Amino acid sequence: MSGRGDPGRRDRIRSVYARLIAAYPREFRERYEADLLQAFDDRRNEPRFSGTVGGIRLVLFLLRDFVTSVPMARDADRKGRWVDVMSDILRDIRYSVRMLVKSPVFTVAAVMTLALGIGLNAATFSAVRSILLRPLGGVSHPEQLVQIYRKWPGMDYGSVSIPHYKDIRDRTSDVFESVAAHYFAPMSLSVDGRSARVLGLLVSANFFQTYGVTPVLGRSFIPGEEDVGPGDHPVVVLGHGFWLTRFGGSPDIVGRTLTLNGHTFEVVGVAPSGFRGPYNFADIPLYVPIMMQREIQPGYDLIEARGSNWMNAIGRLREGATMAGAEEHLDALLAQLREEHPDSYDTQLGHTLALQTEVGIHPLYRNAQVGMSAVMMAVVALLLLIACVNVANLFLARARERRREMGIRLSLGAGGRRIFQQLLTESVIFSVLAGAAGIGLARVTIHVLGNVRPPMDGPWDFGLVLDPSVLLYTVVVSLGAGFLFGLAPALQAAKLDTVSAVKGDYGGVRSRSRVSSTLVVLQMALSLLLLVSSGLFIRSLQGATQIDPGFDDPAGLVMASFDPGLQGYDEARSRVFFDRILEEAQALPEVRAVGLTDQAPLGLGGSDQSVSIPGYEFTEGERRSIMYHQVSEGYLEAMGTDLLAGRTFTRQDDDAGPPVVIVNRRFADRFWPGESALGKVVHTAGTDREVIGVMETGKYRTLGEEPAEFMWLPNRELFATGVTLVARTSTNPAPVLQSIRRIVHSADPDMPVFDVRTMEDHMGIALMPARLGGSVLGLFGVLGLALAAVGIYGVMAYSVAQRKRELGIRVALGADKATVLRQVLGEGMRLALLGTVLGLAGAAGASRLVKSLLYNVSSLDPVAFVGVPLILVGVAAVAVYLPARRAAGVDPMKALKTE
Amino acid sequence: MTHPPDLQELLPLTPTVFHMLVALAGGPRHGYAVAQEVEEHTGGYVILGPGTLYGSLQRMQEAGLIEETENPGEDGRHAGRRRYYRMTPLGGAALRAESERLSRTLTVAHARLEI
Repeated sequence: MSGRGDPGRRDRIRSVYARLIAAYPREFRERYEADLLQAFDDRRNEPRFSGTVGGIRLVLFLLRDFVTSVPMARDADRKGRWVDVMSDILRDIRYSVRMLVKSPVFTVAAVMTLALGIGLNAATFSAVRSILLRPLGGVSHPEQLVQIYRKWPGMDYGSVSIPHYKDIRDRTSDVFESVAAHYFAPMSLSVDGRSARVLGLLVSANFFQTYGVTPVLGRSFIPGEEDVGPGDHPVVVLGHGFWLTRFGGSPDIVGRTLTLNGHTFEVVGVAPSGFRGPYNFADIPLYVPIMMQREIQPGYDLIEARGSNWMNAIGRLREGATMAGAEEHLDALLAQLREEHPDSYDTQLGHTLALQTEVGIHPLYRNAQVGMSAVMMAVVALLLLIACVNVANLFLARARERRREMGIRLSLGAGGRRIFQQLLTESVIFSVLAGAAGIGLARVTIHVLGNVRPPMDGPWDFGLVLDPSVLLYTVVVSLGAGFLFGLAPALQAAKLDTVSAVKGDYGGVRSRSRVSSTLVVLQMALSLLLLVSSGLFIRSLQGATQIDPGFDDPAGLVMASFDPGLQGYDEARSRVFFDRILEEAQALPEVRAVGLTDQAPLGLGGSDQSVSIPGYEFTEGERRSIMYHQVSEGYLEAMGTDLLAGRTFTRQDDDAGPPVVIVNRRFADRFWPGESALGKVVHTAGTDREVIGVMETGKYRTLGEEPAEFMWLPNRELFATGVTLVARTSTNPAPVLQSIRRIVHSADPDMPVFDVRTMEDHMGIALMPARLGGSVLGLFGVLGLALAAVGIYGVMAYSVAQRKRELGIRVALGADKATVLRQVLGEGMRLALLGTVLGLAGAAGASRLVKSLLYNVSSLDPVAFVGVPLILVGVAAVAVYLPARRAAGVDPMKALKTE
Repeated sequence: MTHPPDLQELLPLTPTVFHMLVALAGGPRHGYAVAQEVEEHTGGYVILGPGTLYGSLQRMQEAGLIEETENPGEDGRHAGRRRYYRMTPLGGAALRAESERLSRTLTVAHARLEI
């Protein structure tokens, strides 16, 4: 037994019910409370309402009873308490939902408009947060981490060599708790006979400790032990994602072995799921100690090479240590190193420090990244503003339509406060709907953006997620917007006077038309600002694709990369392999020219070497480092780069012949202005090289780069194990790509071939920032144009429709229709033009800010600054003309009678 | 048949009120007993929850159809604390009028359905 009769047992349903009784009007409650509880107890004691199932049945029964009896009791007792507010809200919600469903076009249009603004804002905010603002995941105290770069003339963010890293690690312990280093290295991984190329990380033994990361399985590397003894530590730590995808998350992975470049490595640990590695754009598959560098990069010995700067160094500041203090220590260290190793340090200027939390992708790209992110944020914020103006206008127009309804309700005794409350409820429900739709849209957008990958093989992953702070932001924005739009019309409605509203006579027309005039101007100006800005970026993208890269048709250039060193080949065997591939590729009927290079141009990366030129004096701080590629004979022919003087490489340019170099026009013009470069000498890496050819200047790292000096060194004399083959074809490249794969495969079935594609696809890497930015902004621009067109049409049409009666009267009184039409058009266009002027002024100001982000485009691009305004003014003209013509053509009698 | 003037305003009775009056026509009862009897009469079709029950009792009382009364001498559980109701003469008249209205309707229905 339960209830009063059995106080020993607590009945949760009863206590909830007892609390719900508060919803009844006070008088009823005071009179019947005991009876209600008694009736509850009686019911609870019935067999059908006892026990758990009975309890559920009872809850449903009481709920139905409650919903029907509360309004009934309230009707009987009409002296409002706060309870009234509660049930008024319930009633308002019901009414609002009915109103929203009753005008589906309005609801869908307004919800979608606001959802678009909210969704794109949430998605962009998430993306910017993930890439720029979010500290590295899974790292303890990321604010203490500092990136350390070597500073050279013309280069602030130079990498460090292994010996240099060790010196920093061992000799700056006053300021750094620990200093780690790491760099990307391709390796050939085989597990159970399947081999593939993966891009892993070579790391110092204290890597995980420095980042404050504890493996989820096994151990991390052991500082002091696994950072001495080259080749002695064939151990590997797996990334969490890689462990899951490649090894099925097997719990007994620790102790198992895998093969890297033909060497057996033991898995000693698995990184935790929150830690994806030291970069925010990649999910690192595996980590290997740098002592295994020779096994991972055969053919290179970096462990003792003080001049080979490959590594990224990162230090954890001691408590109380400052960046400035760290810089001082590094300066002191540099002074010592200069004395110890004068050759390696004579040109280094110092070190550059950057807080890990502030670098984003790389400090070099930080400004562009911040700029681009700011542009994106500004554009979506504008989009949201435009959406808000549109929706505000929709609400205003609807509030006007509903004045009669409101008037009737007022005259039937509803208070102004009730109507105000009702409209507010409507707009809040509306914004909750829009917020939900916006979140849905944001999820889709984030998903699409998250699948964007640079077009090169690698563990790239920006880890984009819709995070909680974004959700909060979205909710605040949508609720804020709802209140904003609900409030204005609601305030107006609450002030209505009954008689005029019912008659359809609008007292506040003047203030209303001022509101809608402001909306027209605002809408026009904001739309222009948005569209001109995105127009500029789209033009910039077009500009980028039209840049001459310095070689012929990229669609006819086929590329494939392979690295015999990773398969354990030595130099001699690699050279035999290269020759075989070159000969067989050359023999393909579709191939006109073929060559090898250690690096393909426009892959964002590149190598450089310091040069000195006999007879040329470098000034203090002048840049000495020159970008270069090591290429075979046939390479420059395959690329189709123009030869300006001399000759290109031949098979005879090997280590038996004299050292030679080919330079580009810019190189020749810088060091030997007005002279022929042929026969001149370039001193680099300890060798004097004779210039045998001059090529046209092209683009080498990125399409956006300034023209730069460049040199080509013969790869028959120098050696690089990893190469890219390029072949010029006159026909469809697809079969050639297949043939080259087959040729490599038949030469060595185990040789992984990667990055097999045309140069056009490869250039996607260089074009990606512009393409991505351009297509996102293009999408925003199109959405913005649609919103702006709809919005301007709506605002204009609404303000004309407001004057329908006046226009009808004027026509009835004998005014010439054409004159009336012209006058209305003139007034509308004056507003549109005012908005245009304001918008253009804003856009001109904004474009100055983004100038540095634009390729090849003037920041006052005529297409963006003239074309876009013309479209919008056209839309505005149509938006004024159509309703004005309708208004002027309306039967005067009808207009006078209004609705 | 003539009714007191305010009776006309009460007709037709809502089904709930009608059923409750039928229950009270058998003598004074407390609220829960009314609900139980209504459920029984309607074959379990009408089950009155606490709110509906007392909401209706309040309205019926305000309309003068029923009034509160002493415990007629029952001594069930909590009998002393329960509120008892009985039908007023106006309530009886309303029930009679509603019954006649319903039975006329029933007669027509039966004739049409040839029952």
